[in-house]
Amino acid sequence: MTGRRRLVVVALVVLAWVGSASAVVTADIYGPGSTSVPIAVMPLKSGDAGSSPAGTRFATVLGRDLELSGYFDALDPRTFPERPETMALTAETTDFAAWSATGAQNIVKGTISESGGRVVLEARMFDVPSRAEITAAGRRYEGSAKDVPRMAHRMADAILEYLTGERGPFDSSILFTSTRGGPLKDVYQFTFDGDAPIRLTTERAIVVAPRWHPSGDEALFVSYREHVPRLFRLAIGPRAVRSAVEGKVSILNGAWSPDGSKLLVARDVGGNTDIYLVDSAGKPLRQLTNHWGIDVSPTWAPDGRRFAFCSSRGGSPQIYVMNIDGSGVRRVSYHGSYNTSPSWAPRGDRIAYTTRENGFQIVVTGADGTGGRYVTRQGTNEDPSWAPDGRYLVYSGRRGAKRALVMTDREGRMQHELTAGRGDDTSPAWSPWRD
Amino acid sequence: MRRLGVVGVTVVLCLVAVLGAGCKKKSPSPLDGSLDGSGEGLGEGGLGGRGSMARAQQGLPPEEDGILKDVHFGYDATDLDGEGQRIADANIDWLRANQKAKVELEGHCDERGTIEYNLGLGSRRASALKEYLMTNGITADRIVTISYGKELPLCHEPSEQCFERNRRVHFVVLGQ
Repeated sequence: MTGRRRLVVVALVVLAWVGSASAVVTADIYGPGSTSVPIAVMPLKSGDAGSSPAGTRFATVLGRDLELSGYFDALDPRTFPERPETMALTAETTDFAAWSATGAQNIVKGTISESGGRVVLEARMFDVPSRAEITAAGRRYEGSAKDVPRMAHRMADAILEYLTGERGPFDSSILFTSTRGGPLKDVYQFTFDGDAPIRLTTERAIVVAPRWHPSGDEALFVSYREHVPRLFRLAIGPRAVRSAVEGKVSILNGAWSPDGSKLLVARDVGGNTDIYLVDSAGKPLRQLTNHWGIDVSPTWAPDGRRFAFCSSRGGSPQIYVMNIDGSGVRRVSYHGSYNTSPSWAPRGDRIAYTTRENGFQIVVTGADGTGGRYVTRQGTNEDPSWAPDGRYLVYSGRRGAKRALVMTDREGRMQHELTAGRGDDTSPAWSPWRD
Repeated sequence: MRRLGVVGVTVVLCLVAVLGAGCKKKSPSPLDGSLDGSGEGLGEGGLGGRGSMARAQQGLPPEEDGILKDVHFGYDATDLDGEGQRIADANIDWLRANQKAKVELEGHCDERGTIEYNLGLGSRRASALKEYLMTNGITADRIVTISYGKELPLCHEPSEQCFERNRRVHFVVLGQ
């Protein structure tokens, strides 16, 4: 992956209102997982030849994103009354009666033209019961053929925005650590493209706590490559690793500020772990906690003025919030006696964390500590990380003998395994949106 | 991922033997007894060719009860109980009798609980042992600490017996 290719997006705005639908769905939607809307996603029509690998890829990736969202049930293309060769491109020419017989409530279809590694792609969405095109959900993309999966993610995010008012999360990726490539963990990158996760490091040492730089171009992680835990920066494109904090200091984890100008780190001195503020060049600015307890796992509020962390200052680990100047410490976790691994939601309104209860569960609470609810209810589930949309989360859950990444939503209405295979997948960190 | 192969493993083992023999090296290391105080809580000085991570890098499981026995802890505990003190006392006796030996104290946790908090907990356990050793006359320049949290467990079963085995400080003898 070299550089960033420009992705040109144009929303299809049809000024003629005749035949346009204002409502996407006719079924009631309460949230992901409660009612699934049957949707037919057709492979794109490519010239006169029918479908092409890129057009099929677009449909496969889009269909999977829509299923993962919990709002949709993507129908089997073998049941469709149209084929790419014979695709009807407008509402007027579409046989909605035939589509209705498949149970579909929505259809996505469109065209792709490819030339010299570049594609132009148009995708339109139709509402079957009202027999009309949903013009506000249509999209046109231009870019490299390699970016077709990304176009599908942006389409999925746009469809979710149209449907629910909140943009979807799929134009993003997830860092995590895994033993899928060897007995010691390395950092990997999961995308929603359907490909195997990409290995980013070969540390041959203990690796923990990957986190994103807000630009999405860099990862932060802790490695024992020099025998002690130290914080490193990884430029994802060139896979270049360098130290993040100056000096031979032991760091258990770090987190970039939302504007990328500072880091919060959990630093260990003589067996005592405290939170420090560090500048982007790795110079320490301020010690924020100064307590005999274990203070670890800082997570920034999106306004950059507060952070949450895990502390055993009260005798057992709980979640606290502190202002970035070190003032105003207050506890925000009230479920039981073991609460760790906080993650502050991107809209600032919620904090997710891990609680020991009937195993380990993910809890989402208001950022002021009120209104906590369980997002998982059984098993061993740890280390939540919010999607950029603030609706979905990812965590590491034990599934059989292995740990996998699992996607859920802030209400805990759905649980979808994102990864599977050899090894344990742990410590996920969901990236910002790619744009 | 490249495998080490027989030659590679042989080279690694030779390096481990050389380090263990305390051969003179250019840069200061705890083997020379010159901890300069700039090292911090976790892994001051940094070495441990025989330690649990070095073993993992060679594809070996962690060691339990080496020359010196592991000290175990209660759940979420960082202070020594009676049995822990008894084992630590025996280890101290050995260290008094072997003045050239230094020791790396590895703090470990059971697999419950989250990764980052357990790194802090392991560090506390290792430091608790270091303080106990120093209180009983072992000088600081002979002790290095490091935490592995729950990253290098002895066993993986979700049983109380396995949890208890993993809640430990493991003594790695160096420079004997």
